Amino acid sequence: MPPERFDRIDWEEHAGSSGFSASINTVAFVLTALSVLALAGYDRLFAAERETVFGALARDVGVGPRFESLGIGADPGALEYLFVITLLLFVWYLLAPLYQNPRMTRYYWDRFTRNRPAVVSLGWLFVVFAGGLLGPLLLSAPQQDVLAGHQPPVYLSIDASNVARCLGETVGGRCHGTWRYPLGTTQAGEGVFRNVVYGMTISMQIAFITTTIVAAIGITFGTVSAYAGGWVDEALMRFVDIVLSFPTLLFFLLILYIYGAGLGMFILVFSLFAWGGTARYVRSKALSIAEEEYVDAARISGASTYRVVRRHVVPNTASSIITQLTLLVPGFLLAEAQLAFLGLGDSGINSWGQLISAGRSDLAFAPWIVLAPGIVLFLTILAFNFLGDALLDALNPKTEAERGR
Amino acid sequence: MGLARYVVLRVVWAAVVSLVIVTATFVLMAAAPNPAIQEAATQAALEGGDPQQAVERERELRGLDEPLHVRYLDFLTSIYTLEWGWSDHRSQPVTEALVEGLYYTAQYSIPWTVLTVLIGPLVGVYSAANMYSWRDHAATAFAFFGYAIPNFFFGIVLLLLFGVWLDWIPVVYRTDVAVFSLENARQLALPVFVLVTGSIGAVMRVSRNESAEFRDATFMKTAKAKGVSPFRAYAYHVMRPTLVPLSTTLVSQLLAIFLGSSLLVEVVFGIPGLGRLTFEALVAQDTNLVLGATFVFTFVAVIGNLLEDIAFSVLDPRISYDDR
Repeated sequence: MPPERFDRIDWEEHAGSSGFSASINTVAFVLTALSVLALAGYDRLFAAERETVFGALARDVGVGPRFESLGIGADPGALEYLFVITLLLFVWYLLAPLYQNPRMTRYYWDRFTRNRPAVVSLGWLFVVFAGGLLGPLLLSAPQQDVLAGHQPPVYLSIDASNVARCLGETVGGRCHGTWRYPLGTTQAGEGVFRNVVYGMTISMQIAFITTTIVAAIGITFGTVSAYAGGWVDEALMRFVDIVLSFPTLLFFLLILYIYGAGLGMFILVFSLFAWGGTARYVRSKALSIAEEEYVDAARISGASTYRVVRRHVVPNTASSIITQLTLLVPGFLLAEAQLAFLGLGDSGINSWGQLISAGRSDLAFAPWIVLAPGIVLFLTILAFNFLGDALLDALNPKTEAERGR
Repeated sequence: MGLARYVVLRVVWAAVVSLVIVTATFVLMAAAPNPAIQEAATQAALEGGDPQQAVERERELRGLDEPLHVRYLDFLTSIYTLEWGWSDHRSQPVTEALVEGLYYTAQYSIPWTVLTVLIGPLVGVYSAANMYSWRDHAATAFAFFGYAIPNFFFGIVLLLLFGVWLDWIPVVYRTDVAVFSLENARQLALPVFVLVTGSIGAVMRVSRNESAEFRDATFMKTAKAKGVSPFRAYAYHVMRPTLVPLSTTLVSQLLAIFLGSSLLVEVVFGIPGLGRLTFEALVAQDTNLVLGATFVFTFVAVIGNLLEDIAFSVLDPRISYDDR
């Protein structure tokens, strides 16, 4: 086929900017998100109080207990539906574009893999992600079993006087751990390993939902502020100043004190007070992009402001926003753990912080209860920081020049 | 616009921000049922009285029967005149309880702030001067470690290690030792170490990366050509411009740690400071004390941000006040 010449191109075909044209990703996202929403609506309207949504669905569709045999027996709440929708966003707007542009993906991947700690971090985060996603499907929730309290992790041992009943071998007055509880058990006899895996789900929910909310508000405020200019810009930025000055943890404590709060409230409050930095960042980035020549070119070709923002400004700020969001997530995970540790968190969930707080009284003789979730939390925060740093390097063309010097 | 005018405007703005936060707190409080009233109703019902009457009496006693704007103005007046009421749970005025807490908080907060401010930039610039040497890598590893490890978890582990297993430091905090004594230094060493590790990472990273830019600047070449000693060159030509972007990070890091982690560290180490006071007030449902502690932290945050902006403009003579 001869190379395309610009005078042979049917420009009418390419001039899709006049109407509203949705990309394949948007279509896919809307379709999948709608089905999740439909499931959520079905759950709310038709599933009985004590019935899981998949159980109800299987009954109505008439497939019998097939879902349960697949391990999908969980009963999702509002937070879980939101989590799935944010996951869909992540798949269709981050992973799918990477797949659609293999050349750019390979280029960034090559730059990214030069940073070895970052690759290890990505691997660890993938483990946490996969564990959080699949763990609850493969493992049943940790069960209390008072007789199996304080079992040591496998290969370790504990003085037999500290355990009510040793499940492993007792050699020379020391109780040894078993593979049934690879990381030992808590005082109540819950498996620490299962608790840690379930904590991954909570951490991933916090990470994905807060990031989505922060990104949505931050990008909207930033671009509107940059494009509106004048007093709108001034007012919005002053508002951002106020949001940034709020001591979030204390404000959350106040809300908790007055109204009481669970994980949903935690996510809402922390993400509603965390977008200030992102908005500032997007604004300054959008201002500098607005000066670029390709924006002028788009404008001259008759693109509307909305199209310029949607097609040129937001995609070009995206790389720096992703970096910024990666560096925000550890703060949320830490805040949740801190609150749980103080006994002010959502006691109905199996988060890492809850586990650390549960093991604190037995620290002297059963340190694994605190150490296992604490180290996992530390590694996760560390991985997010390394990843953010590496993304900053990989996505910033300036570092290439500096390396070459 | 001159510096003086900028500072005045910035101070006015800080006052506005504090007003907004106080107002938000008021709205939160006004929209929620007051636990004291429910308590009065329960009390009356238990004693065989009329709960409705008790509720009204309690509302009158607390001035809740007044219209909303009167209550708002009363609230503002008492906040800004520091009449923060009586703490039921401590049986003393709220301000007195807060000052007592501050006394213990200051004992460890001043050392860790000073240490972070002194060590952080120095190590950062040193790292930049010896970039990609083993010392730089060690400093970077330490920075990431300190930044990533949750302070309260680190505190627990250190307490277990040095307090319980090695028995080097006391496990229980004692309030009866003199401020400037060896015992006090020993019991505060771990909290200070934990907080310094937590706050210094970001400071080291920023000062390292920022000063790396100035290290290769032409004015450094000139300084070297003139025969300025490396120490003097780094102290005068690299440190000074680094301090400008660093001041932002420094203040926000110190504030973040102070507002977030000091509470946890006080709970872990049993220090009866402001953070633990807040925590105990929350648990004991002592509304006045909770509010008082919240305001102290809020004002610290607002003033910290104010100082950050002023320091930024004083340190960088090129800044244009019209841009901000």
